Amino acid sequence: MTATIISNLPVFVVITPLFVAFILSTFARRIRLVESLVITVLALGVLGAGYLASLVLMRNGIPIIYSMGGWPAPWGIELVAGSLSAFFLLLVAGVSLPVALFTVDNMTHEVGGSVRTTRFYVLYLLLAGTLAGMAVTNDLFNVFVLVEVATLSCCGLVSACKHPRAAEASFNYLILATLGSALILGGIGFLYIITGHLNMGFASMELSRIWQDYPHVVWIAAGFLLVGFGVKSALFPLHVWLPDAHSTAPSPASAILSGLAVKGYMICLIKVLYNLFGSTLIQKFALHRILALLGMVAIIAGSLFALAQDELKRRLAFSTVAQVGYVFLGLGQVNAQGLTGTLFHIASHAVIKSGLFLAAGAIIAATGKTRISEMVGIGRKMPITMAAFTIGSLGMVGIPLFSGFIGKWHLLSGSLTAGSTLAPLVIVIGSVLAAAYLFPIIRTAYFEPAQAIDGQDPGVPQRIALILLAAGVVILGVAPGPFLELAGRAAVELLALK
Amino acid sequence: MKILLDKLIINYPYFAAVILFLIGAFTVLTRSNLFKKLIGINIMESAIFLMFIAAGNIRGGAVPILRQSNPEALYINPVPSALMLTGIVVSVSVTAFALALIIRLYQSYGTTDARRIAEMKREVT
Repeated sequence: MTATIISNLPVFVVITPLFVAFILSTFARRIRLVESLVITVLALGVLGAGYLASLVLMRNGIPIIYSMGGWPAPWGIELVAGSLSAFFLLLVAGVSLPVALFTVDNMTHEVGGSVRTTRFYVLYLLLAGTLAGMAVTNDLFNVFVLVEVATLSCCGLVSACKHPRAAEASFNYLILATLGSALILGGIGFLYIITGHLNMGFASMELSRIWQDYPHVVWIAAGFLLVGFGVKSALFPLHVWLPDAHSTAPSPASAILSGLAVKGYMICLIKVLYNLFGSTLIQKFALHRILALLGMVAIIAGSLFALAQDELKRRLAFSTVAQVGYVFLGLGQVNAQGLTGTLFHIASHAVIKSGLFLAAGAIIAATGKTRISEMVGIGRKMPITMAAFTIGSLGMVGIPLFSGFIGKWHLLSGSLTAGSTLAPLVIVIGSVLAAAYLFPIIRTAYFEPAQAIDGQDPGVPQRIALILLAAGVVILGVAPGPFLELAGRAAVELLALK
Repeated sequence: MKILLDKLIINYPYFAAVILFLIGAFTVLTRSNLFKKLIGINIMESAIFLMFIAAGNIRGGAVPILRQSNPEALYINPVPSALMLTGIVVSVSVTAFALALIIRLYQSYGTTDARRIAEMKREVT
């Protein structure tokens, strides 16, 4: 019995949210039922992901492999739950549950009507399911399908508000994201043409044997995949869709989009780069230098753009662009320290940014103010919300004892090991800039003389969500234990492939 | 030169795919009409589909249905065709969703021109 559960766990965590997503719309008129179903499914997801992570830790790096339909690997689709998968699954489950908790009783005024709210939840569960799928998939074409489903649900979430600006942002996002997925599909096509495999393990074996015969095709495939995933995960010059999309979406949607959706594409990129090309080919084709350079540019440019914004959600959206830079910078350090830092930074940014967006959403919902300069004295009116926001900001800047610090510390030591002089400097400057764009918000909220501003903390489920995410920031910073362990092992496994 | 030309003639579906892809990408990035952008996306995706299908094709190959009478016959590779079936479904759903968004944009702005919409948005804020 237990063996059956264990061997089927990788597929269950993916199909359960997808399945429930499609039956949700039958209960569209009974919003209470829909909400409790969503929460139940995501809570089950947390349990499943936690169990899977503990299993993976116990099995010492031997992944759990599931062959779809009973067809073994080179022919069938393979789901592999290794350290990287367990790590990302745990993150997806752990962030999507509090964000869903925040939406309880809270969505109808922002989205309008119980039918529209149900649609929001359908898209939400679809996104959660596909992100879980990205964590476990080991098949190139499966990656493409998951990426497309995730993109469509993201665009749907952005346009969940009736506001015309949301429709415009969603359309721009859709066009650029589809351009990205066409590039990804093209890259996958080139790899399939020269290797003849869609399974990443087999394709990688073939590629390491034949890449010298087709250096140009490998170049083109790598370029297509890099630009494609770069558009999807908002790497700096390709980020143009992100600020509009993430700032016009309903706040819980912004939280999940900025926190998790962008990370899903990064995990796919990590898998394609390190599981398929392998670290040797990455260095042969100097991909790591390109990644690191793009990352550094993104950190500086994203932070500077964030400084210039007065609208709270736009500032947070540009901050995501900057934090994406750290991930790419870490991907460019081909060593265990740097990769551990990247993975941990993915986790810590997911928790922090979703908390910040939820806090911003609570403030905007309570006061109707969207600009930072108008949020004078809000800290005294909404103590819990602002406390969560402050903890998130401290984590983002990378103060010790908060989660951002550990990721940045590993990135820093990774880039020093790689012998780069510019990267450590950029990491530190990025932190200073993060303080420069986040701390003024806190100062305005707490220390400027209060005006007649209305507002109070949101309802109980919302408070629980904010407290959970703020606690996550502190726990990841004080006792990262199993999480850091999983990230470290995933990094070693990624580098093990030559 | 002759070798290059020979390669071009033998691999003509790939060159057609590249040209189609460039036409599509150019349309998406330079046109401001939302419908034309969407058509560009569709052309681009068709180019990728063409590339896949051409990769699976074997000249003179039969339909990949295994027959008892001649199990030795040359078959085309069915995997890319099956993949592109999925790809076409994805592309259709993207098109449908984008059209729905265009309808909503037309209802609120009264135009399907991206530049006009951006101007109107700037006037409001």
